[in-house]
Amino acid sequence: MLRYEFMRNAIVVSVLISVLAPSIGIFLVLRRFSMIGDTLAHASLAGVTLSLITHQNPVIGAFVFTAICGGFIELLRTRFRKNADLILPIILALSVGIAITIMSSGRLRVNADSFLFGSILTVTRTDMVLVAVLSVISVLTVICLYHRLIYIAYDEEAAAIAGVRVRMINYVFMVLAAAAVSVTIRIVGVLVISAMITLPVATALQFEGGFKITLILSVIFSIIYIMTGLLLSYYLAVAPGGFTALVSVAGIILVIAGKKIHAHTIRATQRFG
Amino acid sequence: MKSGFSMISAKGLYFSYTGTSPYILSGMDFDIFAGEYISVVGDNGSGKTTLMRLILKMIKPSSGLIVSSAKRTGYVPQRNNGADSGFPITVYEMLNAYRKLLNVKDKDAVSENLSLVGMHGFENALTKNLSGGQRQKTLIARALMGEPDLLVLDEPSTGIDATSRRDIYRILKALNQTKGMTIISVEHNLMAAISNSTRIYHLAGGHGHICTPEQYVAEYMKRPEGFGDA
Repeated sequence: MLRYEFMRNAIVVSVLISVLAPSIGIFLVLRRFSMIGDTLAHASLAGVTLSLITHQNPVIGAFVFTAICGGFIELLRTRFRKNADLILPIILALSVGIAITIMSSGRLRVNADSFLFGSILTVTRTDMVLVAVLSVISVLTVICLYHRLIYIAYDEEAAAIAGVRVRMINYVFMVLAAAAVSVTIRIVGVLVISAMITLPVATALQFEGGFKITLILSVIFSIIYIMTGLLLSYYLAVAPGGFTALVSVAGIILVIAGKKIHAHTIRATQRFG
Repeated sequence: MKSGFSMISAKGLYFSYTGTSPYILSGMDFDIFAGEYISVVGDNGSGKTTLMRLILKMIKPSSGLIVSSAKRTGYVPQRNNGADSGFPITVYEMLNAYRKLLNVKDKDAVSENLSLVGMHGFENALTKNLSGGQRQKTLIARALMGEPDLLVLDEPSTGIDATSRRDIYRILKALNQTKGMTIISVEHNLMAAISNSTRIYHLAGGHGHICTPEQYVAEYMKRPEGFGDA
């Protein structure tokens, strides 16, 4: 398996996104922003199609367009608080509209399906380098802003009173979310991105730990889900996005079931022992 | 007690969310002095929370001035929103992150503040698993980070049991009397306002009236509704 360059590239990219996606995802989930992840995923598809039609690198195209959409969401969210629920469908419709129009125009010389479902074969060395650069910069930014991001998610008002520039960090966070989405698109595909950003976090939350423990568990589950999905898709010759999603759902169901059995066993021991 | 310098000073203070009439706060003038324990009371919609937000500089006056000479202001919200939403964070993580935001170098500040509010030993507890009273005490511990000279509280005893309520007012009174901390507490609990405050600021119809607890009791007893459900 490792003798193929495409597989080595795919494994490196998978490890990078396994760290980045939940590091951003934990803040999206805890701020009840999961729908923003989904909207940005669709924006990334528009970015990919725009970059393919203009012969640019799709990872860069996805990142730039998704970051613009993320900034726009944040701008509208703060300006029109009463209609905040309408902003995401508008951005989503714009993105899907652009993507479908370009994909159905017949002007794309490459198959865009790999961006919908994910692909191992199409991860080039250039993609790998771009993903590595975006991931390292994003993770370093999360580390620098760690306590500020925690507090904005936990209690935005208290963060503002403590002197945190909430609005500016919210914009930075949208760029980070755009980076996470655009690097994940290559392996798992647009349709599964938001699941990959949220499901490892949702699994980790079942362990009822503090923030740091939840973040570490999210990364561990993300690595398990994405690597298992990647390896299974290699041996079964299917798109990795589908298997990664199935493994993630199986993972969270197993953890919830294990938690229930554990609680039941403890209750039974207390009752009879 | 007007022993200290003016901690908060308001002159011709007007506020409405539209910036025009009708105003929630209409031409208010007052001084709150260092070392005072002020309870801000009034009916729902009288502008208590608006006044608190102006003091905290969360909003700006429509006209007039409100000046704070506090070196550091601690704030205790009515509810612990993060804990209410099930956020996975321990008491230690919650306080330590705040210490880092305020750039407080002393790493022992977290355990010292928890001891001060009687929450020593709860460092590893998740905030979402705490009772209402315990959550409120951790919020006070958080507000004390960086040793503020002004503490602003938004209805600190809402939704908590009688024992915790007594504990919280005992802590606030001790902070005011032994550390000289200026306290401004938006209160719906009139008995607490009368028992603990050095002065009471009563808001009604966009205007404020400041008096001692004794004067407040005397004036209130004249009203047919008395203290209501206080």
